[in-house]
Amino acid sequence: MKPTERDPAARRRLIGGLATLVILWPLFQAAEVKPGVLFDPGNLKVIGNFLAAFLPPETGTEFMGYLAKATLETLAIATAGMALAFLIAVPMAYLATGAGREKATLNPVTRSLLTILRGIPELVWALVFVRVFGLGPAAGVLALGLTYGGMLAKVYAEILESVDAAPARALRHNGASRPLAILYGLIPQASKELASYTVYRWECAIRASVVMGFVGAGGLGQLMDQAMKMLNGGEAATILLAFMVLVFAADGFSGWLRRALDTPPANRASPFGWRSTLFGLAVVSGIVASFAYLEIGLKALLTVEAANSIGEFIAGFFPPDLSADWLAKVGQGIWETLAISVVGTLLAAVAGLLLALPKWRAPFSFLLNTLRSVPELVWATITALAVGLGPFAGALALALHTSGVLGRLYAEALDNAPPAPGQALRLAGAPGGFAFLYGTLPGAAPQLIAYTLYRWEMNIRMAAILGFVGAGGLGQLLYFELSLFHHAQASTVIIAMLLLSIAVDQASAWLRRKMN
Amino acid sequence: MSFCLNGVGLTHANGFAALKELTLKAEKGERIALIGPSGAGKTSLLSVLGTALAPTVGTAEVLDFGQNFRSTVALAKLRSRIGTVHQSPPIPGRQRVVTAVLAGKLGQWPAWKSLASLLYPLDIPGARAALERVDLADKLFARCDQLSGGQLQRVGIARVLYQQPELILADEPVSALDPTLALATIRLLVADAEARGATLVASLHAVDLALGNFTRIVGVRAGQIAFDLPASEVGVPLLHDLYASEGDELPVQAHESHFLPPAAANDAATRAACC
Ligand SMILES: Nc1ncnc2c1ncn2[C@@H]1O[C@H](COP(=O)(O)OP(=O)(O)OP(=O)(O)O)[C@@H](O)[C@H]1O
Ligand SMILES: [Mg+2]
Repeated sequence: MKPTERDPAARRRLIGGLATLVILWPLFQAAEVKPGVLFDPGNLKVIGNFLAAFLPPETGTEFMGYLAKATLETLAIATAGMALAFLIAVPMAYLATGAGREKATLNPVTRSLLTILRGIPELVWALVFVRVFGLGPAAGVLALGLTYGGMLAKVYAEILESVDAAPARALRHNGASRPLAILYGLIPQASKELASYTVYRWECAIRASVVMGFVGAGGLGQLMDQAMKMLNGGEAATILLAFMVLVFAADGFSGWLRRALDTPPANRASPFGWRSTLFGLAVVSGIVASFAYLEIGLKALLTVEAANSIGEFIAGFFPPDLSADWLAKVGQGIWETLAISVVGTLLAAVAGLLLALPKWRAPFSFLLNTLRSVPELVWATITALAVGLGPFAGALALALHTSGVLGRLYAEALDNAPPAPGQALRLAGAPGGFAFLYGTLPGAAPQLIAYTLYRWEMNIRMAAILGFVGAGGLGQLLYFELSLFHHAQASTVIIAMLLLSIAVDQASAWLRRKMN
Repeated sequence: MSFCLNGVGLTHANGFAALKELTLKAEKGERIALIGPSGAGKTSLLSVLGTALAPTVGTAEVLDFGQNFRSTVALAKLRSRIGTVHQSPPIPGRQRVVTAVLAGKLGQWPAWKSLASLLYPLDIPGARAALERVDLADKLFARCDQLSGGQLQRVGIARVLYQQPELILADEPVSALDPTLALATIRLLVADAEARGATLVASLHAVDLALGNFTRIVGVRAGQIAFDLPASEVGVPLLHDLYASEGDELPVQAHESHFLPPAAANDAATRAACC
């Protein structure tokens, strides 16, 4: 036995730890993290007053009428946007995926098109479309359709690639065409995951359509924006409550749907029973009703006139402003946005983990659900009051919302982690906390890390637009330039957002591989 | 006294009575093998001894600690003196072997040491010594999901060796090992218990391993004790009785029909070691 034996992994860990510090330190600097400001009595008073103005919530009949209309509008935007996204996603996924091909070639053209669709945040699309089609839900529906179309297509393509390829390959060798090979060989394996992801996305679309209202794309968000601008706290509170109810309901409904997907088919020739038929009818009529309610004549969008105005508008964005001055400013914005996303996600991961740990779930689940049902942009208006305009407000807003999301996912993952190792350590006398650290956490860690990194990919997009309410970063630049009709400058910012989100996707994928 | 079960019954949540009126006593340093057909209640009995399950009737005293009286602090203290070898080793796949072994002393270490060991293993020589005894020293810094099933089971055993408990409980500790390694491992557990004066209770499905290495054999059937005899007094008819529900063959390591000349139990083990 060598008494001075060293842990061979120690050096790597030390270097990794130091490198993390060296990278994180300037990011925290850039995000202007000043925890002290949070507890400044003056600021606390401002927030107190602000929150006090939320009470009592407005309940006047006239306002409730508006609220009901806006809620319906939000639902309709989400549903219509999802329908559009689905229409875009199915052919794109088919073109992009390597599944069902005899040689798994990936189509680079569709792949990059999808990256562009996804890479630009829906709020930016919405902001742009509002300028083309005017205020109203049409902009929201289009923005959702494009971004979510890109996301759905990418994930559909990945799901189809992840299932066992052998059945489809066998069919193709028997002479089946590619679409049929996919339908008969891959869809049966992937259908549940495809459907459950689609439902999950619809739930996200509801959240997103609220947020897009802030730039004038209709629904609850627009109402909220007006209430906040008029400093009408009571109305804002009611809207927020309505929003929470909507999110909870959508949550419950989508959970129910996903469970319903698990029921095995009945013993008869047609795989569709009365329930699936009813459901299909409900979906179709829901989509038709949504378009009708929003009064989006697709025809109006497809006229020569509209095409011309879109063309002119888009032409205004080219060429992007690439002057050194402007690029330096955009570079600064990129750095700040990156800092907001990293700091926000890290704070959220810590808070989310702490909130996921307690055994007695009820109050913590409620807290987590509340945190995540308030959109980042609303949090940002509050944190901006607390710590002043700037990146720290953005990071805090991101952290508040994200800790709700991550906390819930963490709690689930910890629940699903194998219990035996922790149990065994408790039986060997280890205190509960250490049984968790040595036994349970290692089992759940890959899941927790994956959730955190995926969330970071979403947060970089959100961080890019938090600036719309003055929380720094690229969003602030974009909002400013668009208001001044400086389209060439705005175009540079949008390209920067796109590149940044692509870079973060790559970094996150690399980190996930590294951690395994 | 090491433990004393008095009229212990254990009824599972679904109403199934896994143990009935069971009384069993052991002095410090005894080495007991539990044998019996599948579903007899061996795991249940070990769970009661390990304080994982409280008896629903009767009293259980383990290491002078009345179990029916429960305070969490005292219970944790007691548990750190009991080491359990599990049938499927409860070790997270992503943990390193060294950490998995050191985890055996979490109940004895101060909190700072347990925390610091997550960053840098604080007792590498100790972990290596334990692993050397199960022939795995070369895997000290490997990750557990890179080990074979048998190697992982030996890591579980090394953890208990490192813990140095006064009472070792082993539930089919060698079920994933080949016969030679199984014998060597059982001998290791027995030798460790003997050297430290610890009590060892192991459930085994190979009768020859039990008879060849343990001084006292306890036959369990249908939640009760069928017999409790020194190894030398356990004969073939008794065993056939015990395993009546599983057919005519007795479960052994070595698959030879005449493995058990009565009274010369050690031969079976020797043979098992040769094949
Ligand atoms: N958690 C439980 N809930 C209900 N019944 C249980 C539970 N655990 C065990 N049992 C039942 O108790 C009886 C004894 O189980 P036990 O695991 O103690 O048997 P065993 O002797 O260890 O069997 P084996 O040799 O197969 O491991 C079995 O009939 C089993 O079905
Ligand atoms: Mg068992």
